[in-house]
Amino acid sequence: MALRDIKPTRSELINLKRKIQLSERGYKILKMKRDGLILEFFKILKNAKDTRGDLLSKYATAVEMMAVANTVEGAIGVKSAAFSVKEVPQITLKSKNIMGVVVPQIESSKVKKSLVDRGYGVLGTSTVIDETASAFEDLVESIIESAEIETTMKRLLDEIEKTKRRVNALEYKVIPELTAARDFIKMRLDEMEREELFRMKKIKSRNTA
Amino acid sequence: MGVNISAPYIYVCTRMRMRKAKLLPREEYQRMLNMSVSEITRIIGETEYKQEIDELGTIFKGIDLIEVALSWNLAKEYQKIQEITPGNLKQFTQVYLRRWDIQNVLTILRGKMQGEKPGKIKEILIPAGSLDKVILDRMLSEESSDRIIEMLKTHRMYPVLAREYPAAKESGSFSHMENELYKHLYANIIAGAKASVKGGASFLAYIQLDIDIKNVKTLFRLREDDLEEDARDMFIPGGSLSLLNFTSLNNIKDLNEFIDMIRANIRNDTLHSLLDELKGNKSSHDIEARLTRVQLEQMEKMSKRNPFSIHPILVYLEKKKYEVFNLRAIARGKESRLPADKIMKYLVI
Repeated sequence: MALRDIKPTRSELINLKRKIQLSERGYKILKMKRDGLILEFFKILKNAKDTRGDLLSKYATAVEMMAVANTVEGAIGVKSAAFSVKEVPQITLKSKNIMGVVVPQIESSKVKKSLVDRGYGVLGTSTVIDETASAFEDLVESIIESAEIETTMKRLLDEIEKTKRRVNALEYKVIPELTAARDFIKMRLDEMEREELFRMKKIKSRNTA
Repeated sequence: MGVNISAPYIYVCTRMRMRKAKLLPREEYQRMLNMSVSEITRIIGETEYKQEIDELGTIFKGIDLIEVALSWNLAKEYQKIQEITPGNLKQFTQVYLRRWDIQNVLTILRGKMQGEKPGKIKEILIPAGSLDKVILDRMLSEESSDRIIEMLKTHRMYPVLAREYPAAKESGSFSHMENELYKHLYANIIAGAKASVKGGASFLAYIQLDIDIKNVKTLFRLREDDLEEDARDMFIPGGSLSLLNFTSLNNIKDLNEFIDMIRANIRNDTLHSLLDELKGNKSSHDIEARLTRVQLEQMEKMSKRNPFSIHPILVYLEKKKYEVFNLRAIARGKESRLPADKIMKYLVI
């Protein structure tokens, strides 16, 4: 807002004072929100690091087990056992609120299955198929857990970034401009008052002379 | 063995021994462990698998060529053995190889259920049992699984299929049906072996060993599974263990107590010494591989004790199966870049 566009009136001054007050209050709240979000983010970050590490190690195990299963059972055995899979895990998405940020809460149907529920017969397969199936079930569970935590982290980061921009805009742009405008109006009003006083004195002295 | 051994028996058992002698020796596997997949293909192409490698060389490449060629050769070899075995031995061999029918039928049913293309399912079939390529092709061309079951009306597994298929279809899981089919197969084999035919006792001895080892393997697998299972469904009757023993063994939590109980229930010296070694914690696959080795060792002993019986044929069938298994394991392991010592651990030599 350019100073020349400002009308130096009392009502404008009152308006500006109100706006400054509101902006300062908003600034304080947003700053608190930003700090709160950062705290939440760091809490989740530690969790995310653990789950990501867990996910990577489970992925490596699952890939290795698949290689072993292909080695022991051959593609034929592995494919034949894979045909037995009758259901895929069902994902239910819910949401929860962390300081105004809506983050997902992922619930899944049971991934880990018992030997019987996996769909292949125990008598026609070997233990390597069990170990591979188990490794992949662990991996899927880990992926679901990581998906929740990492999406939460991403959303929190976006929100922190947004809040930071708002705080900065208030701190470095909006509030200083409003303060400058208020000071300008105050100065102009004071000047006008002094001019008025001087004019009155002049009239008075002319009348007495 | 009886005193009167017929010439065809001697002939076929000698042929089996000759075939067994032609199987790849241990050193050959060790040499292959240091080769690439293409080198392994070349080496395999210079052995008994030449015809399959040459035939399939234009259709498949790399590891798929090896795997399909090995499966084709195994199926061809098993079919040939069924042709040359005489009398009761033929009957025993055929019934023994019927497990491949179970595998093929279940693969087709599962593949159809998953909506796989017939060509894809065909690649993983091994027509080594009584259902040959023509019948399997006809089954693959059928759209509905019910029609496939209908096609098997004359097959021995039909009663189990007819009984179990509706429930399996409804639940979408063939695991119970698969277990029932194997149990039915073993029951048939035992019934055949017990039906006072010549050589039945030798066959029965082997089948009981097979059932014992299978039941012990299942018990170890169930131990690995954290979740409580109903073990009854996985028990194969006819061996040394009764259903009661089997379920109570499954409920034992302590490994040493579990092993002692198996020792008490199954009389087999080689198995006993292996079980003692297993008291130190071993991986489940290691246990399974060791049990397989014990089974092969026992079979070898049986075939030496009864040189003109079903045993030399069964030993050859099993050893041939494990040769294919080992070659495939080396090739697949190499392709997956597994270290040689790790691949070696999984070989059955």
